[in-house]
Amino acid sequence: MNVLILGGSGYLGAAVAQACAASGAEVRVLSRSGRAIAGEAVRGDIRMPRLGLPARELARVREETTHVVLCFGSVSWTSGPGEALETHSSGMRSVLTFLRGLPALRQAVHVSSLLALGRAQGRVTNRELYTGQRFRNWYEYGKYCAERHVRDSQQDLPIGIVRFGPVLGPDPRGGRPDTEHGLPKVFPHLLAGYPVHLASRGDFPCWVTDVTSAADLVWKALSAPIGRSTWTWFDPARPTLGEVFTEVCRPWGVVPKIVEARPLGRFTRFIGERVGTPRELADYAEPWFDLDPGVLDDIPGPWPVPEADYLAATGRALLGRAEREIGV
Amino acid sequence: MKEKTVSVDTDLHPYFRIYSAGNFGEVAPQRLSPMSWSLVGDPMERGTRKLAQRLWGRPAWTEGSHYVFVGYFGCRPYHNLAAYCHLSRGIPGLSANDVTDAYFEGIDSPAEITALRSGRTRRLSAATRLLRELRDIGPRLRALEERVAELEWALRAATTANSPIALFSVLRDAKPVLEEAWAVHILTTSGCVPIRALQQRVYGRLARHGDEIAHWLTRPRELVWDRLHTAAATMDPFGPGDFLDSSFYEVADSSDPWQDYAVRHKLAANSGTQAAVAPIEPSEALAGMLSPWRSRTVRSLAVAVGEVMAGREHSKSLAMRTLHIYRRLLPELAGSLGVDPGHWPYLTIREFTDLATDPGLAARALPRIAACRVALGTPMPEHLDLSDGDGTIRPWLSESPQTHRGVAPGIGVGVAMTPDGELPDEPVVIVCSSADADIAPLLPFAEGVLSERGSDLSHIAILAREYGIPCVVGYPGAASLPAGTAVSINGSTGEVNILDQS
Ligand SMILES: NC(=O)c1ccc[n+]([C@@H]2O[C@H](COP(=O)([O-])OP(=O)(O)OC[C@H]3O[C@@H](n4cnc5c(N)ncnc54)[C@H](OP(=O)(O)O)[C@@H]3O)[C@@H](O)[C@H]2O)c1
Repeated sequence: MNVLILGGSGYLGAAVAQACAASGAEVRVLSRSGRAIAGEAVRGDIRMPRLGLPARELARVREETTHVVLCFGSVSWTSGPGEALETHSSGMRSVLTFLRGLPALRQAVHVSSLLALGRAQGRVTNRELYTGQRFRNWYEYGKYCAERHVRDSQQDLPIGIVRFGPVLGPDPRGGRPDTEHGLPKVFPHLLAGYPVHLASRGDFPCWVTDVTSAADLVWKALSAPIGRSTWTWFDPARPTLGEVFTEVCRPWGVVPKIVEARPLGRFTRFIGERVGTPRELADYAEPWFDLDPGVLDDIPGPWPVPEADYLAATGRALLGRAEREIGV
Repeated sequence: MKEKTVSVDTDLHPYFRIYSAGNFGEVAPQRLSPMSWSLVGDPMERGTRKLAQRLWGRPAWTEGSHYVFVGYFGCRPYHNLAAYCHLSRGIPGLSANDVTDAYFEGIDSPAEITALRSGRTRRLSAATRLLRELRDIGPRLRALEERVAELEWALRAATTANSPIALFSVLRDAKPVLEEAWAVHILTTSGCVPIRALQQRVYGRLARHGDEIAHWLTRPRELVWDRLHTAAATMDPFGPGDFLDSSFYEVADSSDPWQDYAVRHKLAANSGTQAAVAPIEPSEALAGMLSPWRSRTVRSLAVAVGEVMAGREHSKSLAMRTLHIYRRLLPELAGSLGVDPGHWPYLTIREFTDLATDPGLAARALPRIAACRVALGTPMPEHLDLSDGDGTIRPWLSESPQTHRGVAPGIGVGVAMTPDGELPDEPVVIVCSSADADIAPLLPFAEGVLSERGSDLSHIAILAREYGIPCVVGYPGAASLPAGTAVSINGSTGEVNILDQS
């Protein structure tokens, strides 16, 4: 098995590369920076024709690749339409065109996000993608477009979809976890003792999982193989958003200040933004959508098991850096 | 002994003397016959003057016996860049760069003549009047389209009956229609600039990433070209789509030497069938990210800008359809008026119409033939600096370097294909030196457009937005990329990547 991981130098991609390599697959990792912690690194850009690969490299990739994982593009809830769409929409389309030209392709897996469902109406399962939802930001819309394009190409490509909620846990590449993007952006804010405003004090599911089980699931999708199905994966223990915050803060000896926000919609959000809830979170301060927990049953067993205590490990990873910085 | 030569050039404006082929250069033939000039430049001039008078009262600089807004030098049509830039300064919040970016490939604007600057109140009232006029273009265009269609029917009847008198009355009726078409075209073309500037400013206030959003949202809905290309497929020689197979601006495109300059537009077959499920549009996606009133404001402004852009395309198509009527009438009538078949392109439309009462006017063609021959032998620059007024032709050089610019957002990846090439199986990026509405039928199959010429509001930019495909303009050498070269363009940033084949 020869796996090409697009975006394999990233947080999730690196974990996927490790999981594939550990299971004995030949791994090739493509990114603009050309870095890899597992497998062979190649420099490329998914926004370019033929992934921007030089002819010789291209020939090798074409000849050898049997499996592809699509996990490129960052989770930036604040990016503008240009950035989000050029990677997740236009970039995705050119990737799909590239996949059509792989003669030995047996299975591809697209790493999608539950956030593509935006503020979905009603109960959602693996079937739904667009329910007339509104999107909170351009990242959500970008991931929606990406999955839309993937679904459209399932007629002629063996490509399956794996959806995750926020992925947490220590960075497989080592070092301090990225707190620039997505949910982790609130952690420094919480750890510094600032309040966040959440409806029902965060007592709603947030579908998180840890990066190792997520990577294992992608491996499973490649090897099972997933075919043209959609799987959704989250920590079966289903911690609530409030619990996630509490656990991440525990190693710091900090109790996060979660303030009840009355469900007054815009007003709550406005107050939240004024009193300091980071912009990233302001839109996610109310229950996200109603996901049918039964979606897990679409994944054939045995399921991967999230690392015990991965939430606290996330906090510790943040602390590690801080300790070093303070010189403890 | 020096023989006095007749010149076909128009007189220079006393102080606005920087000209640019601008949108003319992009899509119109390199040179126009005197007849075509009198059907294009002349009514444009009158339309713009009237607009300026309605907006600013009667500013002295828009009057006089010389041309103010356009010019015809060496048989090449030009816009008066300096005059248009000056117009932009008469609208609050607008600068000359908005105009050059929109229509003149982003070249430097000439220095302002401050003495002619209009006062603040006058500028504000001009803006209000302009908005009011733009609001009414819908009904105006519909009425105009009816009149154009009537002309087409009348031409069909007159040709079938083979009646010179009937043909002559079509000629007479066409004049006001052509003037109205150009007038609306001037109005919408000018209107696009301030209304887009307004949009950018409001978006910047109301939404995060406001400047980007403006690009993504402004998609004119239902451009007229689709409908016309469908009509053209019926091959009706008097139908509304017949002009698409012509050279648009040049009415003498079947006679020498003008046919050498005629840009022959290609009629591509429209083979429908499109994507399975259309993803929802960015404009809909935006709704959830803004409060309801912001979202409403943002969207209605996008619709308004889109409407003006669509109105501009519509008015252009109507002007081209009317020109096409002239294209068929003039050679027919020339015979019955006793003009040599090769001579009528050298008369103006007014002279041609007056031939019935004053046959002697036909003699004016002869000296012009000689003058045009000389003019056609002289290379004419894209941008012209005639500020010396001594008759020397100097190009107007832009100090700031020209770069390729994205004019419709998104990333397009595919293999290069020229508009008259065969559609390959792979995704394609259309590469061309300049493009007009004739490539509309190809756009549904393209991933992007890369053009050597063009500006923010070129027809091609508007078309690309309508189809939701990225477009980059101002990329030298685009048209000569070998077919099959892998190309990636970024219509938001203007970035272009050519992947070499080695
Ligand atoms: N993390 C989560 O919580 C989560 C949850 C659900 C779904 N996902 C999805 O998983 C994917 C990866 O997320 P992540 O957290 O791992 O993000 P990340 O750490 O930012 O990684 C993004 C990866 O994509 C690469 N990349 C970006 N633009 C590229 C381009 N134009 N060409 C080639 N490579 C490019 C980056 O490498 P270079 O910058 O070197 O090019 C990097 O390797 C995303 O699609 C995301 O939507 C993530």
